[in-house]
Amino acid sequence: MIEFRKDLFADERDDNLNEVGQPTRRQDILGHVTGRSPFFDDHQFDGLTHLKCVRSPHHRARIRHVDTSAAERMPGVHRVLTERDIPVNRNTLLALINFGKDDEPVLASGQVNYVGDPVVAVIADTERQARDACAAVRVDYEVLPHVLDPEEALLPDAPVVNETYPNNSFDYHEKYDHQKLRFGDVQSAFATADKIVEARYQMSPIEHAPTETNGCIAVAETNDRIACYTSTQALFFSLGTVAKVLDISTARLHFVGGTVGGGFGGKVDTVVEPLAILGCLLTGRPVRFVYDRQEEMQVSSPRGAERWYIKDGVMNDGRIVAREFRGYFDGGAYTRLSSYAVIKGTAHLPGPYTIPNVSSNVYGVYTNRTPASAMRGFGITGVDFAIECQMDRVAEAVGMDPVELRLLNAYRDGDMKAHRREAKNCALIECMQVAAEKSGWAISDEFKKLSSLSGGGGERAIIPHTVTDEHGKIGSSRAPGNTIPGSGYQPAAAPSLAAAASTTYTAAPAASPMPASAPAPTHAPVSSQPPATQAPPSRTPVRPGASSAPGGTVNADSATRPATPPPSAPASRPATSARPRNNNRFSSLFGTRRR
Amino acid sequence: MSINSLVCSSATEAARLLGSNPRARYFGGGTLVMRAINEGDQSFDTIIRINDPELTQMQIAGNRLVIGAGVTMSALLRHRDAGFLHAAARSVGGPAIRHMATVGGNLFAQSPYGDFATALLALDAEVIVADGSRMALVDFLARRNPSSGPTPVVTQVSVNRPASAGDFWFLKVSRVKPKGISVMSFAAHLPRAANQLQQVRVAVGAMAPTPVRMLSVEQALEGHALDAASIEAAARVALEGLTPPTDAIATSWYRSEVAPVHLKRLLTGAMR
Ligand SMILES: Cc1cc2nc3c(=O)[nH]c(=O)nc-3n(C[C@H](O)[C@H](O)[C@H](O)COP(=O)(O)OP(=O)(O)OC[C@H]3O[C@@H](n4cnc5c(N)ncnc54)[C@H](O)[C@@H]3O)c2cc1C
Repeated sequence: MIEFRKDLFADERDDNLNEVGQPTRRQDILGHVTGRSPFFDDHQFDGLTHLKCVRSPHHRARIRHVDTSAAERMPGVHRVLTERDIPVNRNTLLALINFGKDDEPVLASGQVNYVGDPVVAVIADTERQARDACAAVRVDYEVLPHVLDPEEALLPDAPVVNETYPNNSFDYHEKYDHQKLRFGDVQSAFATADKIVEARYQMSPIEHAPTETNGCIAVAETNDRIACYTSTQALFFSLGTVAKVLDISTARLHFVGGTVGGGFGGKVDTVVEPLAILGCLLTGRPVRFVYDRQEEMQVSSPRGAERWYIKDGVMNDGRIVAREFRGYFDGGAYTRLSSYAVIKGTAHLPGPYTIPNVSSNVYGVYTNRTPASAMRGFGITGVDFAIECQMDRVAEAVGMDPVELRLLNAYRDGDMKAHRREAKNCALIECMQVAAEKSGWAISDEFKKLSSLSGGGGERAIIPHTVTDEHGKIGSSRAPGNTIPGSGYQPAAAPSLAAAASTTYTAAPAASPMPASAPAPTHAPVSSQPPATQAPPSRTPVRPGASSAPGGTVNADSATRPATPPPSAPASRPATSARPRNNNRFSSLFGTRRR
Repeated sequence: MSINSLVCSSATEAARLLGSNPRARYFGGGTLVMRAINEGDQSFDTIIRINDPELTQMQIAGNRLVIGAGVTMSALLRHRDAGFLHAAARSVGGPAIRHMATVGGNLFAQSPYGDFATALLALDAEVIVADGSRMALVDFLARRNPSSGPTPVVTQVSVNRPASAGDFWFLKVSRVKPKGISVMSFAAHLPRAANQLQQVRVAVGAMAPTPVRMLSVEQALEGHALDAASIEAAARVALEGLTPPTDAIATSWYRSEVAPVHLKRLLTGAMR
């Protein structure tokens, strides 16, 4: 049963929606319940052949020799594919948007880097024949040392997982071995905080386990085209990727998607289509390549493992004044989408709370595990788990109710977020208040009265005097003698003064695009690689939206202070709303609240 | 290569064929064998079935019940004479699995499967094979090793019939209900004479490579009344002789932590 709390933000919403709040039938449900939804595997073709892969039994090994001669002579076998058959045997998924380097072969060349890495593909009349032929392929491996833990992978003597990234970490902005976020001065704030709360959090990889495993059928069409019926969630990614690795024109590819039998992010990597289409091109026969359940579990990319270290500086009244993160995304052997997960995760820090000093180093790490990729909110879910566990720990440390602690620290309209965007359309406070009310969780009157609309902005809108550093240049963690996984320094242990620098950024005016003269700060997370330039330092902190927030106070000398003051406790602060009421708290385009 | 399927009219014939062909596999209900075929198991290419109706019979013989190896869980659930085994049969898989899964096949199912075999073990089961010879299930399971050559064709299993319904207890512990795979399962036969436990049998599944008897637990209970003190004593020795496996369902550590707790719950339930 849904209850709409239209009393909240009532003056900001046009209540003329036709779909939201109305019962509606999902568009594919009739097909599903009547068994008529067409899946890729419902297409039947004369002379269909089946493709199966010979996969690495080792975490990491050099391939000395591959002998496919016995397999080629097996009954029903049409073709055996090896790396030599792949026209462009190196790709990375996000190459299509120019993010990252090509690092993953379609079929292993010279080395395997995880258990299940495909080495040879066999196309035969039946699945059983293809499997039997796979069993007859002889691969001579020289087993090499491997690494399965992301922090161990960053130690100087760790085996190199992926030759394209010899430091075992993704290169950010052509400069660092991790993604930085710097906002204020966490070290000084730690020094003045009443309490420090530190903890380590870890999540394992998670497989999407779709009912329909990854698969496709490639079949020759007229006009020299190949049709590919596929389970993909990312039809045009697949099309572009196949065109690239097979070096053929997209005009020759006809991709047919349709019903995805369970995706959840597990079908965005283009893994089956290139081999099936190549097989079809080389044999002229329809080729079906479908993961069996074991492959789906072992080989298809999961949500990656993550490890997070969080250190909070907390005042006795519950205000969190500094938060420091060190995070590791375990991308497995190849990049896929983990490079992006790191950036997305960083953009989310420090969670939905206004914390005046935030610092974060997040690493996209290569290990000899199954390559990780997308899954429902990847990049966010893991660190959110860590953040919310941490909030409970903080509440316990200061003896506060965990809901009230969250209400106290929740961001409000007009606050400055760590990635230098003004918080708008906040509703966390209201959500928690309603959730507490519905679940019978008692919160005090003081907290029942809080609102996202008041108490934000003002001091809380200031972009603080920010300490930056140059630690963690690409390759530095692999420098001999470095024993601390990561950039070679642990921010918690006082950073070397020589390398520390301080910069105060000028904020862009709220709700207007960055002026061309002020390039994005290097350390702010953005959705693609910005040029490696430094924002011009300014000594004048500017409060965005100042003109529209008459009640706010500007702390003019904050630039000369070592750390910004913590945000005032909400009960004692004047109400300042930096955002004019304009009826567009909700975006009509996306049906969600505007950023 | 495709799979050859042979149907024999007798267990003897099936045993002969299996003995002469190392790439042949006996096919009971097929819930595990068919899965292996679908997944392209390379270790066999021939399946052998028996259509002798003898294998699907069940009869009472004195204080024993004799169950054909081909009796499925669903068939057993329809038989009133096998009422004491219904809880165990119902714990195997979902309806589709129970419809095909046989009693004989359960004796071979790898841990953490084998819930039904665990129940049989606590009823002093005997296994009867194609040549008519008999063997205690304890010894049969102790020798079970799929990689060591042909296994005998099982035709029947014979078990004790508990004197009263309150004497036999079964508990399956799983995380997903009602169809989850076992974290562990327990079966306890607790006959009483003058309020004292006599001939106690307690078996546990998924705590070792095969279902096993909990000999220390049996000893702790034997000759005592079933009460808080004897249950406590039994729980204390629950892990003796066990090195629980780590698998996708649970870690060895977890199994060790919870085994005494669940054993206690089973026995406490039996006490009331
Ligand atoms: C989805 C699913 C859920 C399951 N859940 C459970 C569960 O909850 N509990 C549980 O215990 N098991 C479970 N199982 C395992 C299995 O279904 C049962 O153990 C079942 O009893 C096996 O019997 P079967 O007749 O299907 O065996 P088959 O698949 O026919 O055979 C299994 C093995 O036993 C051998 N075999 C079978 N019968 C004989 C015989 N008479 N003589 C000699 N060898 C023989 C076969 O050669 C084969 O090696 C599950 C399986 C699946 C697929």
